[in-house]
Amino acid sequence: MKNQNRTSVKQVMHALGLAVLGICIMTLTGCGNKASSEEKAAIEDGKTLVEKGRGTVPGCVACHGANGEGLEAAGYPRLAGLDAGYIKKQLQDLARETPPPGVVIENVAKDYSKTPRIYSDLTVFSPGLRHDAVMSSIAKQLSEADIRNVAAYYGSLPFQAKPVAADYQVLERGQDLALRGKPEYGLPACVSCHAPDGEGFGADFPPLAGQPAAYIVGQINKWQSGARDNDNLGLMRAVADQLTDADKLNVAAYYANRSLTVKGN
Amino acid sequence: MMRMLSFLLLLGLITSSCFAAELKQTEVHRVEYDALANTPTALIREKAIRQIPAINPGEYFVPPEVGDIPTSKYGDMVKLGRNIFSDTQHYAKRYAGNGLNCTNCHLQEGRKPYAAPLWAAYPMYPAFRNKTRDVVTFEERVQDCFKYSMNGIAPTLDSPEIKALTAYAHWLSKGAPINKELPGRGFARLSKPRDPTSVNGEKIYKENCASCHAVDGHGKKFTNRDGYMFPPLWGNDSFNHGAGMYTVKGCAQFTKANMPLGKGWTLTDMEAWDVCTYIWLQERPSDPRFGWYMNTFAPPLGGN
Repeated sequence: MKNQNRTSVKQVMHALGLAVLGICIMTLTGCGNKASSEEKAAIEDGKTLVEKGRGTVPGCVACHGANGEGLEAAGYPRLAGLDAGYIKKQLQDLARETPPPGVVIENVAKDYSKTPRIYSDLTVFSPGLRHDAVMSSIAKQLSEADIRNVAAYYGSLPFQAKPVAADYQVLERGQDLALRGKPEYGLPACVSCHAPDGEGFGADFPPLAGQPAAYIVGQINKWQSGARDNDNLGLMRAVADQLTDADKLNVAAYYANRSLTVKGN
Repeated sequence: MMRMLSFLLLLGLITSSCFAAELKQTEVHRVEYDALANTPTALIREKAIRQIPAINPGEYFVPPEVGDIPTSKYGDMVKLGRNIFSDTQHYAKRYAGNGLNCTNCHLQEGRKPYAAPLWAAYPMYPAFRNKTRDVVTFEERVQDCFKYSMNGIAPTLDSPEIKALTAYAHWLSKGAPINKELPGRGFARLSKPRDPTSVNGEKIYKENCASCHAVDGHGKKFTNRDGYMFPPLWGNDSFNHGAGMYTVKGCAQFTKANMPLGKGWTLTDMEAWDVCTYIWLQERPSDPRFGWYMNTFAPPLGGN
């Protein structure tokens, strides 16, 4: 009796195991293909928009290079190999109208000692503002689907950085700031969010390595002047406010000097 | 005659120095920024008041620069110590039982004031510790870090790891006074207006912490290499119940001074207490000191 029970249990387990295996294979093959085919279509659509443009929207290749490598001399950023989520957010923020002067949007609604919140998800985040003389007008002409496609295309591109030579002392100072920050001022190191090699991490922390030095300096200037204010928790704003003019140039030169390889998919 | 000669020499020196100065002026190309200026010129935002209270320069001890590590056997030990300190997962892997590095709490290579800087800790040992009820040396204190915060195995006192870490701390506190409480030691000192609540803490966690440490508190791993980009706050890869960061007080003091990264001192004292109460409630490896039962039947699961 006992043996019979055991065998039947074994059989049931065997059947269960087979069923689980089958489900696994189905999900792996069926759903996987479907998702990737959608992504492939998005990348294809993105590619045509990037290369040819549409109507009054110029092709991105004009400024950002044929392979999204950017333009070192003019300080146009590279887009190849950036996180798709990051590109998507930036385009959305560039398309957003800047509020009239005098209107200040707090990043996070902070003072809940006065306004106790009943719902835990009732969090007010800034919509994110990023103003650029050239890109804002272009981003306003893009639809949601366009933004998604372009982001998917650039996110899939491979990238190989071309290190730019710089003065040794400048690189040394830039490295010190990048790896250690300024502890006595409470300024964190760049690598603590932008990853150890400056390759960026996720949709919130873009890469610094492989970006033109002029672009990095220009963006920090924009944080300081308020033309850009679209970071997670206002982290970068707090950091940018503490960077002196020398810091910006040193650290930008350091990251333009780094080598970086992004595989792409 | 001699006077004449000396006069001529002097004249020659002056003229040559003048020419040299002229040459230098033509050679040096103009810099676009003032390297010594301490204020950014682009900071013209209407509401550019710093959210972070400025720390007065000169208020805290400044450790020597990394480039000044001497080229000697001692310097090699310091370099090894720095490597262990900033990349514990690689250089002291056998002793680490979780996914953390020393620099996850001792921020910026153990240099940041109010993030338990090594230059403030090293000169204070040997010291009496309430935790062990004994006078411990710096080396024994580092062993405790491995046992509790790293949830691992303590290296022996004569191991190269302990030697290297001690050498690094010794080098960092070059010029610091012995046995004197320096400003910036340990973490922030907090007031406690009321008892903390984890309900409020959960909201604060999801708002301010979850974007880096993940909603489940297990941190975020690299996609292109081993290890954690953002360290886990609880779970099997985090510190255990015996760690100083496990206590609500220790965690709140750290959080107040250092979190969110780059925006230290922006949470109120009460917010820091609340969020740490939430973190304190979560599951993590058990204390290796207590309980034969836990150690026998639920031993720490180890690292990644």
